Amino acid sequence: MVINWLKQLDELLRGERVRGDLLLQGKIDLRLRVFVPLAIILGCVYGFFMGFYSLLGWRDHALMQLFATTVKLPALFLLTLGVTFPSLYVFNALVGCRMTFQATMRVLVGAIVVNLAIAASLGPILAFFSLSTTSYVFIVLLNVALLSVAGVISLSFLLRALRALARSRAHAEAADEAERAMAQQSNVRQAGSPPPIPGSSMAGSPMAPPIAPSFSRHGGYGEEEDPARGAERMQMALANAAARRAEQAVAKRESVANFILTIWVVIYMLVGTQMGWILRPFIGNPTTEFTWFRPREGSFFTAVWGAIHHFFGM
Amino acid sequence: MTQATTPPLATRFEDRVLTPILTGTRPSGTRPRWWLYPFTVLIAGAIYGGTMGSWSIASPERLLLIPYAAIKVPMLILITTAICLPGYFVLSTVIGLRSDFRAALGAIAAGQAAVTLALCSLAPVTRFVYFSGVGHAGALVLSAAMFALSTCVGYAVMLRRYRPLLEKSRRHRVMLAAWITMYVFVGIQMGWMLRPFVGTPGMPVAFVRPEPLSNAYVAVAKIIEQSVREIGGRSDAPKSPSTRPYR
Repeated sequence: MVINWLKQLDELLRGERVRGDLLLQGKIDLRLRVFVPLAIILGCVYGFFMGFYSLLGWRDHALMQLFATTVKLPALFLLTLGVTFPSLYVFNALVGCRMTFQATMRVLVGAIVVNLAIAASLGPILAFFSLSTTSYVFIVLLNVALLSVAGVISLSFLLRALRALARSRAHAEAADEAERAMAQQSNVRQAGSPPPIPGSSMAGSPMAPPIAPSFSRHGGYGEEEDPARGAERMQMALANAAARRAEQAVAKRESVANFILTIWVVIYMLVGTQMGWILRPFIGNPTTEFTWFRPREGSFFTAVWGAIHHFFGM
Repeated sequence: MTQATTPPLATRFEDRVLTPILTGTRPSGTRPRWWLYPFTVLIAGAIYGGTMGSWSIASPERLLLIPYAAIKVPMLILITTAICLPGYFVLSTVIGLRSDFRAALGAIAAGQAAVTLALCSLAPVTRFVYFSGVGHAGALVLSAAMFALSTCVGYAVMLRRYRPLLEKSRRHRVMLAAWITMYVFVGIQMGWMLRPFVGTPGMPVAFVRPEPLSNAYVAVAKIIEQSVREIGGRSDAPKSPSTRPYR
């Protein structure tokens, strides 16, 4: 089982489980029964390394702090998932990417697993510094840096997956529209009137401009043309125009989807960082007693800014 | 009747060890030997470490610095690599360069072996300067210069191996930068923790300094803080990051 899980994790990290062709079909090949426990295990691994700092001085409750950090780190990510999951589902509906609850959950869990796998792989660096550094501020900043690297990569993974899913939806809808337009044209042609230009207000009207100039096979204008060739050329011009419009529609839909998904990713990031602030202490300040949670005051960003000031003695 | 002649040891050593590491070519019909790189780091690093520790052997107890430094130089390189390797592996996988990981790792390992070979080749120069009667500060500067020079050699060897990968994908550039950042960041602290390599006169001889653990970057930040205070004329404010409580 362990080998199989590691194989599946490896496939996720290599991008094989979220391949472009699968995503374009709206499929996400991630089994929650495997990837949720993997997220918990990887979170515990990073949390364990994070808690090493409390072992340095062997203060009272050092082991308790280590245990608390090991448990709280995966909780941080899973609680963030719980808080942001409904909004992702709604935002996806907004961009036209009608993913199911399960598909939305799979994308999010996949991103969290990527995040925690990167963080856990950087864990030995954190453990080394935690065991060789007494400066609390340095360890805080190092943790912020390592988790930021992992977070940025996983968010780009998430954004890429969501964009591909949104693109698949946009392509599908554009294909539907093109099919409808073609069907409409063939109906009109059967009725004996000239084919309209879909999307154009002048289509089919007496004032409609010529779509293609009359051009004979001898290369001159104004000569008589074979009616069959003219109709064929007209068909091609119509098909090209329809393809252009479809491309424009997809591009427009994609840019709107990108904008909305970027907003959601920012929300996810803010919730994640503030969740981390609420669940603190993770590292354990050597000047304070062990506690499971601290009073809710301030914010993550003011604390990091304060730590940077403090580190450089500003 | 012709008799098969065995090439001299020096030629075999050159063909089988030096040339594969420094140029990346190996004799035809031979397989790549991965153990060659860590083995070279162990041996060549130990030779330079021993030389570095032999700055002052006035007292018998200072002789201990020679084996200590001979152990610590390969430790510095190999442990730093071991700490950074998991992160490099996962980041390479996520960025989509897993298929080239073996080649990239080969380039990195060859670069590290080349650093220690260069250090080893500079050991006679180091010993000669020590013999000329250089002071402790001079010995430290000399060691830093030798490490800097050898790092340039190692980087050149690594880059030569890495070049086909860099031409293949721009993402290799990102990963190379990530590796160098991680390696330098961890390596500086590892070097700081494993001191003394040369041995300060008057201080007891020990494998690592018998003092509370400290951080190289915090020490640098303190120096910057003090310098800023002195420039700003506020030397009367006795605040330091390690003494001020931080919540």
